[in-house]
Amino acid sequence: MSRLACDFGPLSLQSPILTASGCFAYAQQFEQFLDLKRLGGLSTKGISPLPRRGNPVPRIYETASGMLNSIGLENVGVEAFLSEKLPFLASLGVSIWVNFFGTDFETYVQCARELSEGSAGRIDVLEMNISCPNIKKGGIEFGTVPEVAHKLTRAVTEATDIPVVVKLTPNVADIVGMAQAVAEAGAAGVSLINTITGMAIDVRKRRPRIATTYGGLSGPAIKPVALRMVHQVHRALPELPICGMGGIISGEDALEFIMAGATCVQLGTINFSEPSASVRVTEELDALLDELGFENVAAARGCLESLDPEPPHQEESPWR
Amino acid sequence: MDLWARLWQSRPVPAAQFRVIVERNTALTGGYFQLDLEAPVSTPIAETRAGQFVMLRGEWGRDLLNGRAFSVLDVRDDRHFSVLAKVFGRGTALLSEAEAGTPLTCTGPLGTGFPEPEGDELSLLVAGGVGLPPLHLYARRAAEAGAAKDVVLFYGGRSEADIVLTEAIESAGVELVVATEDGSRGHKGFVTVPLLERLRAAKAEGRALRMLSCGPTPMLQAVRKLALELGVPAHLCLEEQMGCGFGVCLGCAVPVYGELPYKYCCTDGPVFDAREVRWS
Repeated sequence: MSRLACDFGPLSLQSPILTASGCFAYAQQFEQFLDLKRLGGLSTKGISPLPRRGNPVPRIYETASGMLNSIGLENVGVEAFLSEKLPFLASLGVSIWVNFFGTDFETYVQCARELSEGSAGRIDVLEMNISCPNIKKGGIEFGTVPEVAHKLTRAVTEATDIPVVVKLTPNVADIVGMAQAVAEAGAAGVSLINTITGMAIDVRKRRPRIATTYGGLSGPAIKPVALRMVHQVHRALPELPICGMGGIISGEDALEFIMAGATCVQLGTINFSEPSASVRVTEELDALLDELGFENVAAARGCLESLDPEPPHQEESPWR
Repeated sequence: MDLWARLWQSRPVPAAQFRVIVERNTALTGGYFQLDLEAPVSTPIAETRAGQFVMLRGEWGRDLLNGRAFSVLDVRDDRHFSVLAKVFGRGTALLSEAEAGTPLTCTGPLGTGFPEPEGDELSLLVAGGVGLPPLHLYARRAAEAGAAKDVVLFYGGRSEADIVLTEAIESAGVELVVATEDGSRGHKGFVTVPLLERLRAAKAEGRALRMLSCGPTPMLQAVRKLALELGVPAHLCLEEQMGCGFGVCLGCAVPVYGELPYKYCCTDGPVFDAREVRWS
């Protein structure tokens, strides 16, 4: 068996390297750049019950080691997704995670129900986005108030047989509390993290760099924050499967997430500049696991050890 | 099939990402520079149509994440092509310092090209600043196809220093009309002034006309206004901030009129019909 094969809760993945929502569209554009069958899986652009047209421009701005975006969850809607996009995805034979969202409680449940009714076994995970910073209406309390997230997750998991993985926002005071709330409501796992809300200013024009003023920061700039949150959640909830993400661009980055407690990882922003990055990262991770003597991904998961304690201070050195 | 038809009928090929090295980095006047690039192996770049672009990125580590979009200036064969650039930000600053042998990653060719001319239409090409490349390529290809007399290149800049790479246009036998705001070369003022004269003259002759333009937004807006007022078809090659260049990040939305409020500069464009662009 391949060193890279791993289990995410009830799911078997051929590799822990997936691609992240919003950074891989519906995958067709990537066919010209890489063999999609080598992915562990992929997460689609976030789907809502009805199509959405997205935000005004400018929508993106590059910052130090990262980029801000405010695309506005533009997507084709459930109906077009099921008829036009899902058949291609299902033909790939990799784990298909359909990222979805609603604009209020009812549309979240409706979206999950419609996706699972139209799935015909072709959707492996419903990845519920309760954390996008780029929709104005509703939204924010789903991702930031544990009780609300719990209620929503409960209602969605009851409306579908497909495992629900909840994608959490880092823009909260207590990430562990959020993870616990959705885990207890029946989530099969959590995806950590979505973008961090940020801003950039053009001082010459005295205007924000993106039309909605604030946007989601992604890329290597957010990796330390993401790693910390994965580690915190894994330490508090060691049984909960975690899909880690945030600025991964190499096999070593991926292994950092796995050692912090992630079961699998997603690559996001790197897909823009290097569309075949997922294959490279998969190969790098495989080689690194081998080099470090790990039999498989599971052996490396959460294997982080604490640093040796410092000897206590005393006024006189014990060494004479 | 004659060369002209072949140039237009070549279907856009799937893009690829490949390594190139800087063969030459030539400083031009006005802060412009030309990068001649060489790929070690065959690439789809030979199929590039005028208006298509590439994303270029140096070995920039974890900073400057995304490639930068450049319209293709020249294609010599499946391994050799050129772009024109000017320093605007950190990415172009790094590229301006690239020496011969510097490795870059290139994704392309991307986007759409200018549409095929209909019949013996006179194509008035209107270029400004770093908007020169697609029209430079178009003009030279028209000349190669024996249609040099069917194109005129109008080229505007602030001063003489902003007018670059004109020898190749003149030696191809394409009529060149230059205008500079300070009058240091060609007509004094905006390039749209001699353009309007020519539009009127050609209309008076009853000649079928169209305009193709690429350059600073105020210039494109002026071309669009002329096109709409005089009823001349026009295509504009636009520039937007791009994340990926191949239709995934959805960052380069262009406001348009039509069923949907936005199209994408990278995959629906960069060439758009002037009538569909929704500018304030």
